[in-house]
Amino acid sequence: MLSDLLQATDAGGLLIIQDFASYSGRHLLKSFINAALNREEAVHVFGFEISEAELKDGLKGPNLQRLHFHDAFTDPLGWTDRPAFTVYQFNLEKLTHLVEQTSHHKPATVVIDSLSWILSHVSPPVVCKTLQQLKKGRAVRSVIGLLHADMHHIGTVGSVCHLATSVIMVAPGMKGDEAVAKITKRSKSGKVMQDEEVFSIKEDLTVMVQNKLNQTGPKQTDPEEQESDPAANLTFNLRLSDTEREAKEKLALPFVFSKEKKTALLHSGPGSGRILYEPDANDDYDQEDPDDDLDV
Amino acid sequence: MYTELNSILNTTPDSFTQGGFILVSDRHSDASFLIHHFLSFYLRARCRVCFLGLVQSFSHYSAISQRLGVSLAQAKEKGQLIFFEGLKESLSVLIPQEASTASQAVDFLRDPTVGLRSLYEFVRSSLSSFGGGEEVTDGAEEWGSPVLLVDDLSVLLSLGLSVGAVLDFTHYCRATVCSQLQGNMVMLVRCDGQEEEDSGDEGSERLLKGLTHQCSLSLHVQGLPTGYCRDIHGQVEVCWRRRQGDGPHTQKKLFQYKVHDKGASFFARGTSSAVL
Repeated sequence: MLSDLLQATDAGGLLIIQDFASYSGRHLLKSFINAALNREEAVHVFGFEISEAELKDGLKGPNLQRLHFHDAFTDPLGWTDRPAFTVYQFNLEKLTHLVEQTSHHKPATVVIDSLSWILSHVSPPVVCKTLQQLKKGRAVRSVIGLLHADMHHIGTVGSVCHLATSVIMVAPGMKGDEAVAKITKRSKSGKVMQDEEVFSIKEDLTVMVQNKLNQTGPKQTDPEEQESDPAANLTFNLRLSDTEREAKEKLALPFVFSKEKKTALLHSGPGSGRILYEPDANDDYDQEDPDDDLDV
Repeated sequence: MYTELNSILNTTPDSFTQGGFILVSDRHSDASFLIHHFLSFYLRARCRVCFLGLVQSFSHYSAISQRLGVSLAQAKEKGQLIFFEGLKESLSVLIPQEASTASQAVDFLRDPTVGLRSLYEFVRSSLSSFGGGEEVTDGAEEWGSPVLLVDDLSVLLSLGLSVGAVLDFTHYCRATVCSQLQGNMVMLVRCDGQEEEDSGDEGSERLLKGLTHQCSLSLHVQGLPTGYCRDIHGQVEVCWRRRQGDGPHTQKKLFQYKVHDKGASFFARGTSSAVL
């Protein structure tokens, strides 16, 4: 599902990439920018958390001229005298104006890096309203936003994500470069699809989807379990041949009480000893107290 | 400067990546030895260093740097080090002796709601005025890329500033120092709460998360989960958040460390001399 999202985001869509401190979603965001550029779309990036040089690092090729960077990184609050774009200008009019300035009446893709920065300075309802207007507006084809989910209250994250047509939640994977994406996609009919995929991002920003966790995942592990036989490469023998098994079953074990042994013990043969006791006259045997002779 | 840490981070005073934001954090432990490391490291690398010392006095840092082989007083004299002594500066605001001496940079002490803009102005003016090479006069030495060190940011929260204000400050510092001037930044944050604790001391947790999203390299110092040990003082988790060469995007390594009198040793888990 991740590769479908990368290939074509529907017009009027809002895609949100959610990440946490443990794994940055910016690499995936860059892949989305790259994919949109390759589709010959104009891309407008509103960079709050990233400088232009940092964003363009890794993005190559002639497509780069269709990438328009609006610098909200150097002075987002207007602390210095020359603010290019401040967070307080984040409204429909200003955004539409900036996008239409350069993209020649062709709907563009708007990338916001990141929504978290805006949400911590502008109240969530205002941000949601602007996003909704952008989505419906004619100047914008689709909106892609990065959101650091652990920086906000659950309610804020929830209300922003309710607006989105697709939400991708990224988390670190099991090994190396892999990451896990939990995707929720709402189609226009209202159907909600959810999926979980393992992916890795290559150096040229293409996304490699490894496998689908919940479908092929368990199937792939099964043959591995069958293959690994712990008794395969032992230096000693663990198995018995038929003749060995027969010999083993014939053998009588020493402390097993067989019938022959029982009779041999109960009916002792001639010559075995016996104790006979006849009380002597001197024996002072008291019936009342048999332990009388003991010096207790 | 700890050479072992340099080899872990793959840097030397002669060659280090510029434009990086190194976040040093600790939990139930003390990571200030790393601040001393970076201070001596960048002074040796002939960088122009701006140090915001908010928790200790100048003589404290000076004494430790002396042990690590760097003289702060000399660096200050030569103009390489700009030392902002938070304790002294705040005193001049809290107990005004002469009205003129109070620095603008600690304006936030009077009214925390104004934010850290004035402190940022201080950082910007002290680092950028020399970076352009405008004031190379009377044979003053030229210094390399600018570096900002902060020890530590959590103090600002205790002084009444909001997490958002501190994050704004670090954002502006990053935009100016790392991006515009191609310098480096090292900041320390302390967290005393539990990792999964949502309530209570939420401020420092949120600050740590916000800074983790901003930084390019984080060093997180923790005590040993098994408790105190004489030969292992704790563990440090090194996490690169930018692509290093052809490696993965996010790379994590865990080391245990022991701080000595004049240095620190870092080793892989379970390979301390006390164990082997």
